[in-house]
Amino acid sequence: MFTRYLIKPGAPQWLWVLGVIGDFLLFGGILFAFLQAIPARFRRPFIVTLTFLAGLIYSVEFFWPADPKTQMNFLTPLRLKLGEATKVVYAFALGLGTYNLIRFHGSNLIRKRPGWHNNLAFFISFAAMMGVGFWAYYAPSSKAAANAYNMLFEGIVGALGATMFSTIGFYIVSAAYRAFRIRSGEATLMLLAAFIVMLGQVPVGAYLTSGIPSGGVLRNLRLENLSYWILSQPNMAAQRGIWFGIEIGALAMALRQWLSLERGSFFEREL
Amino acid sequence: MDHATWPTGTLVGLLSILILYKIFSARMGKELFIRKIPGLSAIEEAVGRATEMGRPMVFVPGIGGLSLATLQALSILKYVTSIAAKYRTRIIVPTIDSVVYTVAEEITKDAYTAQGVPEQFNPDDIRYLSDDQFAFASGVVGILNREKAASNFMFGLFAAEALILAETGHQVGAMQIAGTPSILQIPFFITAADYTIIGDEFYAASAYLSREPTLLGSLVGQDYAKALIILVILAGILTVSMPPLHLHGALSFLNHFADWVNWFK
Repeated sequence: MFTRYLIKPGAPQWLWVLGVIGDFLLFGGILFAFLQAIPARFRRPFIVTLTFLAGLIYSVEFFWPADPKTQMNFLTPLRLKLGEATKVVYAFALGLGTYNLIRFHGSNLIRKRPGWHNNLAFFISFAAMMGVGFWAYYAPSSKAAANAYNMLFEGIVGALGATMFSTIGFYIVSAAYRAFRIRSGEATLMLLAAFIVMLGQVPVGAYLTSGIPSGGVLRNLRLENLSYWILSQPNMAAQRGIWFGIEIGALAMALRQWLSLERGSFFEREL
Repeated sequence: MDHATWPTGTLVGLLSILILYKIFSARMGKELFIRKIPGLSAIEEAVGRATEMGRPMVFVPGIGGLSLATLQALSILKYVTSIAAKYRTRIIVPTIDSVVYTVAEEITKDAYTAQGVPEQFNPDDIRYLSDDQFAFASGVVGILNREKAASNFMFGLFAAEALILAETGHQVGAMQIAGTPSILQIPFFITAADYTIIGDEFYAASAYLSREPTLLGSLVGQDYAKALIILVILAGILTVSMPPLHLHGALSFLNHFADWVNWFK
């Protein structure tokens, strides 16, 4: 907020970063000091009012008609600014997350607990990725930095992620085996539906029923058409039914949060 | 920028009024009944199982940021931790998001303190693993395998890693309870978990577990809202299926039924 008045455009990036952190600490500090200073009985009403006002900005912004040209209304810029502020909170929390990682792996490493070499691997990977990341960021013209970054990020992180993703195929097989065991009428129906859908998705399915005419009422019996019908009619209807329930549940929870009516767990009363 | 259209605004307004009306009528002392949700009733059984086996539990609050779904998951975490603290059972909470990590740590600490055993809280059991989806998944898989978890709770937003986590939990013999509003992951959880909470049952969890009048009222309000949606759908089906009417006089307004269906589009 004050940063844009104190720091001139074109100032070094680190100065802006420091300015934003300063802003956050200043306003966070004022808010914290204020909450400590006021009597305890006023804290809750203060937080409730603040929550309500913040929620009000978002809801009025959503419901207020927008300019058809810009797709914005008078509150849209404020909403965008609030979105940026939450990014700063996230940046601070990221620091806490990193601290947790370092504390957990550091204590295991220092005490040489079983598997300590994995904790050492964490520190080596962390330092390497951070070092190369900064190098590539501050030396964008360096080919060596770009290569090192690509090797670490795309060659290792990306490949490991893809490997993990590919294991889903094996898990699907074992899950499908259990799901498709005929134990009840419903399981038999599901097996039948899954069999039709799977066959309908592959060329051999279309081949199996290729003898059925592709026109007239009988075309509905072709496997690819049966498969499409199952996916687009009963399946879609069930999915949309669940969606309605989920969205209404989310609306109810959003209202409770906004109006500070939420109870239980971390909202006022102990369970 | 997304903004509400008039039909959306009207419908959301109507649904909100219904839900708030039921919340406030419940706060005034009206008795409400809610049906049994087996998945939520089984939470205590899962904690008891871990206690008897002397093995820890794992609670995964999804892969989302601090959204509504994650807040609901954290609300369930508080409940599970409270029971775990009562039975002196260890609970491990791996997180993917640094903000969720900080909130989860506070919630867990509070739960142990509320049960009078603050010394049992181990900050190392609340872990921030990684903000990368599959790095997080592999971290959780490692924890489930190494710790031989007796119970595995998966609540919150999930994506492709849902099946990896649920199948690993099944392989280590953990009793699993899952709940997610991520519609595409529900079939995976139904297949691999012992109990799955689907659809709006997920958002009913805090009401079900706490039995607070405000939350119960909200739950009943949700049911009324669903009834309203069903009525709108039925009316829509009727009007688009009806042949054009040519009524005169007081009933002429019925000629325009199809128009209001179009208005909702």
